[in-house]
Amino acid sequence: MRRGVGLAAFDRQQQSNRSFAQLSSQLSQAQVDNLHAQLNQFRTALARFATTHRDSIRKDAAFRHAFQQMCSSIGVDPLAGPRKGGWWAEMLGLGDWQYELGVQIVDVCVSTRERNGGLIEMDELLRLVRKLRGVGGGQVTEEDVVRSIKTLQPLGGGYEVIVLSDSRKLVRSVPKELDEDQAAILAVAQQEGGRIVADMLVARKGWTHNRAKTALDNMVLRDGLCWLDEQDEFSGTAYWVTSAMKWDV
Amino acid sequence: MKHLDFLEIYMLFFVKSEAANKLYFIGFLLPSIHSAPPFFTQQPHPGTNATATEQWSTLILAYARYRKLFLLRVEDAETADGDWAEVLRNERINRKILPSYLTTLLAAMVAKNLAVFEPAGQTRSVVLHWRLPDEWAEVLHTWAISTGQLNTIMTFYEITDPPVPSPLSNIPISLLKKTIGILAKTGRAQLIAVADGEGVRFFQGTGR
Repeated sequence: MRRGVGLAAFDRQQQSNRSFAQLSSQLSQAQVDNLHAQLNQFRTALARFATTHRDSIRKDAAFRHAFQQMCSSIGVDPLAGPRKGGWWAEMLGLGDWQYELGVQIVDVCVSTRERNGGLIEMDELLRLVRKLRGVGGGQVTEEDVVRSIKTLQPLGGGYEVIVLSDSRKLVRSVPKELDEDQAAILAVAQQEGGRIVADMLVARKGWTHNRAKTALDNMVLRDGLCWLDEQDEFSGTAYWVTSAMKWDV
Repeated sequence: MKHLDFLEIYMLFFVKSEAANKLYFIGFLLPSIHSAPPFFTQQPHPGTNATATEQWSTLILAYARYRKLFLLRVEDAETADGDWAEVLRNERINRKILPSYLTTLLAAMVAKNLAVFEPAGQTRSVVLHWRLPDEWAEVLHTWAISTGQLNTIMTFYEITDPPVPSPLSNIPISLLKKTIGILAKTGRAQLIAVADGEGVRFFQGTGR
């Protein structure tokens, strides 16, 4: 552009600055509009999918599983959305976010019950729930889980958060009371990475050997809370509390 | 069929390493439970035992498939340098699966048709079905076609020990016979007596 030398040049420069500013805002406006349009299209597609497949998702367990897997593989949390309930929840009528989290908690607890006897460490539960929720699931906190478990209580499944003496938390999913001895055993086992033998309880808790042995055998045989190890180097037989061990699913 | 998913994952690893022209090789990935000491002891609680048995069956089949091992014997847990040592033992935590437990496991796998006792009539060694006999039948038939063996008589030895290694190299005779039996039912193979034993002839057939 030729620069004039007279006063009129100032006007011309200001004018062109204004035009450029206008053009730039027009461009970004167009981009925003474009994004909005894409988002709307995506949302409509999701909504259409949700409404057409609503019944299958709710009734057919296999389809629901496939749907959840699809969501998790593309990194979409089926419960997430702008509002608390989420698009999916709204479209599918599944209800509150909190209840949804509850369902996921139940899912994890039930699917791990076989191997941990219905007792799972809070960290492990959080890890598995986050895995279940996919990429966007990072915002689920311990507090969310505790609150969701409270909403589960009226169902009477026995879901409860147990706080051990060293303030670590366990989630119990069997309607069975832990007696005092078992709580003590869990606390010791947590410190030992899961391994526990009768002598530890005798030494630390001042129990008689019989009491320790009986409590441990009950945990193995009656409740399935422990696994037995008959090849222990130090005492021949050791017990392992599975809720204190880490597992791959 | 949970264990099949598991197998597929190992197959993926295998295929991947093949695809990369063996530039790199991914070893067998042991599951984390393999480093848990109680995994090597039989569990008295029925529910716990069922979980452990399932984990062991899956692991054994995946490893057999990975290493192309067909036979598993109770004694395999005793030798530190055997084919199975990597799975049946964990030297790092000083554990190995005890013979009594392995015997129980083998029986459980036979009950689920994941293995058959071989030879029949004892309970200390099995042939593992990391492919079901039906699947082996397809593999065998495809191999016979792709290597141009249709309508000629082959001995079992030519199948179990071919000059060019095939997926069927070292397949146990008992499993091979069962496989041929399946093909025979659909008219795709015929068992034939030859001079020094038995042989087989393959036909095109569609399997219907």
